[in-house]
Amino acid sequence: MADPLMYLLDAVAYAGIFGILSISLNFEYGYTNLANFGKVAFFMIGAYVTAIMSSLKYPFIVNSILAILITGVIGVLTSLPALRLKEDFLAITMITLGEVMKLIIKNEEWLAGGVWGISGIAPAIVIPGLTFRERLIIQIALIYGILIACYFICELIVKSPYGRVLKTIREDELIASTYGKNVFKYKVQVFAVGSAMSGLAGGLFAQYIGTVNPYMFEPTVTFAIWMMVILGGPANNLGAILGAFMVEGFQRSSRLLKDYLNLPLDPVNLQVMLTAILVITVVFYRPQGLLKEKIKPYEGSLHKIIASKFMEVKSWIRRS
Amino acid sequence: MINWLQVLMNSIVWGCMYMLATVGLSLSYGLSRFPNFAHAEYITFGAYMAFLFLVVSNLDIYLAVGLAVVLSAFMGGLSYLILFKPLKSRGASLVHLMVSSIGLGFLIRHFLMQTFGGGIQSFRIVWPTISIGPIVTTPLLLAILIVALVIAFSLHILLTKTKLGKAIRATADNPELAAASGIDLNKVSLFTWSLGAALAGFSGIFLAMRSSLVPLIGWKVLLQTFAITLLGGVGSFYGVLIASFILGLSENVGVVILTWLGLSADYRSAVAFIILVATLILKPEGLMAVAKRRA
Repeated sequence: MADPLMYLLDAVAYAGIFGILSISLNFEYGYTNLANFGKVAFFMIGAYVTAIMSSLKYPFIVNSILAILITGVIGVLTSLPALRLKEDFLAITMITLGEVMKLIIKNEEWLAGGVWGISGIAPAIVIPGLTFRERLIIQIALIYGILIACYFICELIVKSPYGRVLKTIREDELIASTYGKNVFKYKVQVFAVGSAMSGLAGGLFAQYIGTVNPYMFEPTVTFAIWMMVILGGPANNLGAILGAFMVEGFQRSSRLLKDYLNLPLDPVNLQVMLTAILVITVVFYRPQGLLKEKIKPYEGSLHKIIASKFMEVKSWIRRS
Repeated sequence: MINWLQVLMNSIVWGCMYMLATVGLSLSYGLSRFPNFAHAEYITFGAYMAFLFLVVSNLDIYLAVGLAVVLSAFMGGLSYLILFKPLKSRGASLVHLMVSSIGLGFLIRHFLMQTFGGGIQSFRIVWPTISIGPIVTTPLLLAILIVALVIAFSLHILLTKTKLGKAIRATADNPELAAASGIDLNKVSLFTWSLGAALAGFSGIFLAMRSSLVPLIGWKVLLQTFAITLLGGVGSFYGVLIASFILGLSENVGVVILTWLGLSADYRSAVAFIILVATLILKPEGLMAVAKRRA
């Protein structure tokens, strides 16, 4: 890497794309307790829809709307059989869905270029006569624009009465249905929104990288997104974005560290092993994540808040 | 002209391999109440350990396989003792247990990739072919058949006739009641996890010897093992027994149909996905739960 700034900007762009994925998973898992272990499938479908449409010379706006629609519909269709059951059934269905989707994309060469994938995807915003660095900055502006939009959409939803229903479903489905809420309907809607958001992130990813192939969408991607949400703090959208930055930074620095220290390890293996150890450590010692969910913020007098913080720290020390 | 007897033979052999691979997953799922996604990596682990002893250290084949199976059992027991038992006692949620099991799986797989390399390895054994009537087979496939039948029979004896087996079934049924009647949950869980990982390792060795050894060997049958677990009914040994042969048969018939339709034979694992989804829609509690209720 000749230009360290470029490496940094690339990391920032990646973190933005993964931030969108992380927010979408947070919406599903953090607020509604839907264990979607197939995030990579929707990310991949979004990327491929954008890539295929782009090779047919459609503009990015059309591609991303189509990506959102298709991933949303696939999300609903595949989640229907599992949503009425416990969360482990959804997890199993989704983790296997990712494999089946990859199987289809690898085998149907006429549709998606098989194992070679699709290359030459046009970027979303083309302004002729710019340097590489300027184009990268435009990309980052686009990605962060969408990230911020997704953040505000999610915040609006979860702070509304609708969001309170979701949190009730997360805590106890029986209570939600006792109050006459159709739990199943809410879950399907959340899944559709979450999947569509991942599809959008996939579209951004495809136009940013310019090429897609099935090997980019390994289950490790899903695991990284889960890592971001769990590390950042479930049910906290800022935490999800923070988690995306931290995991991206962690993965990049583990790669750099390997280069500088000249360790006799494969960078991918090292990265995955360290990520796995980190996630297990977080689940062990800080299961609520770095940023906790804000329940009734800024209520009560100051000494009450301090007292509750003190109790939190005490209980945390006792547990670890 | 399709040799249907050969298709049947292949189905039975695949059913045996799936059965060995899945028993542990289903039993530990029933006992500890969460799907262990690292189970696929016990399969990989067993295969690589056999490779280590057989090809690298050049040991006798029976000794190598035995050592690999023992090490797999050790791996399963260790992951329960070090990771899942403390997590459960801390009151970790179902999702946290699943996430950490995925993490453990990646840790094992990438550790193996780091140690043995990510490429294709081979056991360098050439199996002679045997023809029985219209069926062509190899000593390895016959060995799989015999081993699986012996193991299935001994598991049946274990689960129905011995105290330990009865304790396993009682714990899977109702952990609180089992604990109240003096069953040591820890001992039972540890035994089940070790046994399950040992059988998974065994199936991994067979899978690797049948074709070749790659780090994804376990992950590739993850879909099948979960389809069998759900179809058979979580925690039910007899369910696994029936479901693995159903899956073996439908996959092999599926391949015949796929080639007839002119589609890639890679889609055979999509058969498992269809079975999984159909189970969730039609009978989420699995096949054996039905039998239990009627009895």
